[in-house]
Amino acid sequence: MVAILQQLLNGVWFGLVLFLIASGLTIILGILDVLNLAHGELFALGAYVSTATIGAAVGTVASPTGWGATAVVFVVMVFLGIVVAGVILAPVGAFLEAVLIRPVYDRAEEYQLLLTFGLLLMIRDVISFIWGTRSLNLPGPYAGVNELKTTELLGFGYPTYNFFTMVIVLLSFGAIVYFFNRTKTGRIVRAMAIDREMATALGVNTDRLYMLVFALGAFFAGLAGAMILPTRATNIGMGDDPLVLSFVVIVIGGLGSIRGAFVAALVVGIVSRLAIATAPAFELAAPFAIMAGVLLLKPEGLFGTWGEIE
Amino acid sequence: MSDAEGGGRFLVTRDGQRHVRLMKGMVFTPRKFAMLVVGVVVLFMVPDIARFTPLPFGSVAQGLMFGIAAVGLNLLLRHIREVSFGHAAFFGVGAYTTGVLTTHYNVASAGVLIVVGVVMATLAAMVVGYLTLRHIGIYFALLTLAFGQLAYALAFGIDFFGGADGIAVRPHNPGRKVELLGQVFSSEVYGILIYYITVVLVLLSLLVMYRLVKSPFVRALDAIGQNRTRARFIGIPVRRYVWAAFVISGIYGGIGGSMFGLFQEYVRPERTLFMFRSGEILFMAILGGFQTLLGPLVGGVVLIFLLQTVRFYTEYFNFITGLILVLVVYFLPDGIVGSLQSGSSARLAFAQLRSEPAAFASDLGDRFRRSMSRLQHTLFGGR
Repeated sequence: MVAILQQLLNGVWFGLVLFLIASGLTIILGILDVLNLAHGELFALGAYVSTATIGAAVGTVASPTGWGATAVVFVVMVFLGIVVAGVILAPVGAFLEAVLIRPVYDRAEEYQLLLTFGLLLMIRDVISFIWGTRSLNLPGPYAGVNELKTTELLGFGYPTYNFFTMVIVLLSFGAIVYFFNRTKTGRIVRAMAIDREMATALGVNTDRLYMLVFALGAFFAGLAGAMILPTRATNIGMGDDPLVLSFVVIVIGGLGSIRGAFVAALVVGIVSRLAIATAPAFELAAPFAIMAGVLLLKPEGLFGTWGEIE
Repeated sequence: MSDAEGGGRFLVTRDGQRHVRLMKGMVFTPRKFAMLVVGVVVLFMVPDIARFTPLPFGSVAQGLMFGIAAVGLNLLLRHIREVSFGHAAFFGVGAYTTGVLTTHYNVASAGVLIVVGVVMATLAAMVVGYLTLRHIGIYFALLTLAFGQLAYALAFGIDFFGGADGIAVRPHNPGRKVELLGQVFSSEVYGILIYYITVVLVLLSLLVMYRLVKSPFVRALDAIGQNRTRARFIGIPVRRYVWAAFVISGIYGGIGGSMFGLFQEYVRPERTLFMFRSGEILFMAILGGFQTLLGPLVGGVVLIFLLQTVRFYTEYFNFITGLILVLVVYFLPDGIVGSLQSGSSARLAFAQLRSEPAAFASDLGDRFRRSMSRLQHTLFGGR
């Protein structure tokens, strides 16, 4: 029973992280109409930046042992690493959009795919140029965070860090929904997604908003990259699987739908973690089977879209 | 030979100029014909050239195999104007069929392996094509991607297909080699013979595609690509035609994949089925020029060459490849072959550079200044 509950919680956790990656992809796709193949590499870049930041911070402040006060210090470190990853990725995304992707908006979508695939390869080698090709691992701080026992009261053990990141993701989800539904800029962005020319005519600086949207997408990719760290070491090509899985998520949820991506990410996360426990052979296949099924039965995805996407 | 249409068997006169006529509907100018002959001869001489120069024989062979798949994909891309992002599925089905038949069923004959490989790929294309033919645009791309990844995940997860390690293309005969015409050859000779078979299949595939492109069927596909609703109104059976085109493109993938399996003698999931292979097949078509017949094949050889050769010279081969793809998008939108054709934007720019270098430079300067001021406007607003 506890084992199933843990698998379920793992699924929820994985689904939430997946949602963060997919949300960036779906925002960019829904508003800019660009399928950003380099999104997985932005995720990987976030993971590397976060590893470097946390590693440096821990090295200067505390040694990765002990509990109690040290654990709280580690929470601060890890939080710092996550935020820095997002903060560094946002201008990277803005640069990619403004300088490299902007010239191809009015070209056929094949060229956008080719361009972002080229960017994927280039970012991959920038990463291996900066951090080398060896995989980096940083178990200390996370073990430190997990020294804080939060689930003992409920009668079973579950890593505190995972709860910590779940809260961050839920806050991010709330912030995205709030931004697009309640703030003026968010509403303008939605209007721009429906008719860019009209938005320009009404005096909206659409170039700048496009850049903002891409930076937002990159920010969430970086955030997600930082959060996945304790379950895996960083390595070159770590962005491939999340990229593919976030395609699955945004298709199941409906292209451009944030809420749809949230539900779909949870479904994919839980299904893939339960598949690991019960039928490992179909762990990889299960999400794609769901995706194909949804596309065949309900091509527009589970939820409607708020951009104007055909 | 001199009168307008009749003349000799292979030489005809059109518009007062002598043309070479290979068969009905296949007429070349002498220059194009000479290039064709040179191209074919070079293709057959690649193993000999590779012996004396550092030209990597394996990369050229693999490039041709992926190139056939790209030629097939181009039928969808060029005419129906749909992006298939799962074409590695059919390539992989062809390759895996050779692996499964040799390892599990001890089939040693190359001919049987190729035929069954292509048949299996055709069946796969029929199923996937039937399920996807109603979808267009990004949904079509993502649905084909889903089926491609499904095939990858199944090959990866099921032990019968060798799992993550892949499966060897080696029958149980004493030499553990696939037989050609009942003979077992040494590794070196075997590789070259498989290459020659590939070249023959490439030429046949191109010939079929050449005939196909000029057929009413592909004209109808063009109409479907322009507007599906209108195409249906004028009586084109849209769904059946799209299905047929999808299956044909899948057959091309199967040919490439079967030959790949025989050539490599080992099939791994990520070398044949992973979504990046699908992406590469698509990019081969665009890199070479997807508005041309030969483009995808040239793109295939060039891209595989880049991916496999640059890594011997620098650790950062991905960066170089990525940079080249980006530069192609910006400066060679018609692809390699497309840019060589007369009237392409690259040729026009080059002609302007030669005739009026000053105007060309000021043009470039204008464009640079415009994009800079736009960037400034984006960042700081105002004017």
